[in-house]
Amino acid sequence: MSQTGPGGKNNGGKALLLRSAEFRKGREAGWRELDDMVGRVEARGVAALSAAEVSRLPLLYRAAVSSLAVARNIVLDRNLLLYLENLSLRAYLAVYGPRSGLLERLGGFFRQDWPGSVRGLRRHLAVAALAMLAGLAAGWLLVASDMSYFHMLVPEGLAGSRGPGSSAEDLRGALFAPWPGVIDTFVVFANSLFRHNAMVGILCFGLGFALGVPTLVLLIYNGMTLGAFLALHASRGLNVDFIAWLSIHGVTELLAVLLCAAAGLAVAEKILFPGELPRLENLARHGRPAAGVVAGAVLMFFFAGLLEGGFRQLINNTPGRYAFALLTAAGWFWYFSRVGKRTAPGKGGGHGY
Amino acid sequence: MAIKIDRVGEFLEGVKHKRRVLITPEGIPLDVRIAGHGERLGAFAVDIVFMGLAVLALYLLLWLLFFSGSNLSVGMTIILFAAFVVRNLYFVHFELAWQGRTPGKRLCKLRVINRKGGELAPSAVIARNLTREVEFFLPLSLLFSLPSGWQEWCMLGWTLCLTSLPFVNRYHLRIGDLIGGTQVIAMPRRVLLADLSLEAASARAAALLRAPAAPEPGPVTPVKVEDLRPAVHTLQAPVLEAEPVFVFSHEQLSRYGAFELQVLEEFLRRQPSNNTQRLLEEVCRKICNKIGWEGGEIPPGRVRRFLTDFYTAERADLERGQLFGRLRADKNAAAENRKPDKPY
Repeated sequence: MSQTGPGGKNNGGKALLLRSAEFRKGREAGWRELDDMVGRVEARGVAALSAAEVSRLPLLYRAAVSSLAVARNIVLDRNLLLYLENLSLRAYLAVYGPRSGLLERLGGFFRQDWPGSVRGLRRHLAVAALAMLAGLAAGWLLVASDMSYFHMLVPEGLAGSRGPGSSAEDLRGALFAPWPGVIDTFVVFANSLFRHNAMVGILCFGLGFALGVPTLVLLIYNGMTLGAFLALHASRGLNVDFIAWLSIHGVTELLAVLLCAAAGLAVAEKILFPGELPRLENLARHGRPAAGVVAGAVLMFFFAGLLEGGFRQLINNTPGRYAFALLTAAGWFWYFSRVGKRTAPGKGGGHGY
Repeated sequence: MAIKIDRVGEFLEGVKHKRRVLITPEGIPLDVRIAGHGERLGAFAVDIVFMGLAVLALYLLLWLLFFSGSNLSVGMTIILFAAFVVRNLYFVHFELAWQGRTPGKRLCKLRVINRKGGELAPSAVIARNLTREVEFFLPLSLLFSLPSGWQEWCMLGWTLCLTSLPFVNRYHLRIGDLIGGTQVIAMPRRVLLADLSLEAASARAAALLRAPAAPEPGPVTPVKVEDLRPAVHTLQAPVLEAEPVFVFSHEQLSRYGAFELQVLEEFLRRQPSNNTQRLLEEVCRKICNKIGWEGGEIPPGRVRRFLTDFYTAERADLERGQLFGRLRADKNAAAENRKPDKPY
């Protein structure tokens, strides 16, 4: 190819042989087949492929990826390079995308992941419980020393008609109010409680990102509110009844709050003390199980809302409420300490810390 | 060769896309484009609209099935409950079921992937979407409740700081992405076009078939690459027989590098139009000047043929060099290679 000029004859009388064109010729059919399969997976999921195709997908994917690796070294056709990059990425996501069905995943979550993650949060749970207890003690002491603190600690909406001014009879009436009916309890009241509590829980978790300080503040504040109520009822000699009234749903609800807070604290810990991994990576690694804990806790709030809205006034006596509260406590304790524990090494996949 | 692709794209589109490299389990680095703020906001807006419709549908369903005839407060409760359920399940459900895509992301061609290059775990999807409550819905509700005291303003400011996080980090990560270890990428689907180096050959072959006796094919009409796609294989045989009309020396070809080659490829792949034709003539003139073309001026009708032949010859030359580990990245590298003390 030394001659120049239009119409100049080539030395050997043959056209330029492009290695990249040859390379493409042999492999293009495989790429197009893969392209077609991946397109169907993207549109309708893995179910769109036949059994034979499902087993062929990884083979074609690996062939495409290796084509890409070769093409990067011998091909200068930009369209081909971009296409192979794109195809490899799409195929990679199709091959390594989530596969199991939603129900299957939910089953795995409740049988293993959730209780496992909760067990991994024991230390954080203890810290959260301590913070809440500290708030409770502070609230109790403050209100016991001076009843006027009650209105400072308890928001208007939560206090309702209860306060330092209410008599023992008023308070007793609130504790043993008659059951207002299905719609008002299970629908209206339970729902508003659920939404409020779930919001508090998710906030506890989300604010863990701010190094956990707002989470702790929220816990202490909630503890103080509780302490204020306890002090009020204690001053009227109603504490046994009040704790029964509270614990029928409180066992579930407070546990869920503590779980959310513990998850938030775990996130905060991973930001503050990243350990061996880079901060972001460490956060990503431990943030996922923590978020799972919160998702489970939101469900607990749903139960708690039903218990608080409906069942609390259905069981209208103190011993019955205590029995029910003990039952739920034992249930949660069994669930979180026993369920999903690995039976043999290497079997199952608890996603604890 | 991610960097090279990037360079040509940036040169032609004038937009600098943010990218990152993902390593597959096979150990192959893949180049992914990080989704832009506009794309993500657009996808989110679409999702919000869909969510609103879903809440409405769920509300009507619940109302008609169970509570028709109840009072207003029950209605409000149901709608709040429906909104809560929908906004917490919508994203999780779709990102799990559609492999990291919600309807909005699907429309905007976005996708959630695992930042580390593994499987997108369900817990990651849950994690990145639970924080939406804190990042978006909380500041929104604070804003709507018209903050009064300084505490509420502080709270609003703080949550807005969290919300604006994607605008201040390199990978556009929001808090949910940080906790879930995810990354939102843009993934338009690309189409494999016919090889340009075969285009000229196949056009020639077609011309030869039409008039086998003609010593040289007439002016080439631009061939639509799409039409050629199925024919590529069948045309392999004539390709080896066909000769390029314009022939270039190694000295001439070594004036340019891979960058210019790929820019030329993109120009040749543009839809044929008057603008494209003018552009190609301009490019042709520049190339002739640069390589010292002695074959006279190229008539407008032959410009495309000249450039295609130049492209094919240049690519063959560069690919041969690449095979021996001497790829010229661009014309500056090419100029350096021609210094007297460097033999190649």
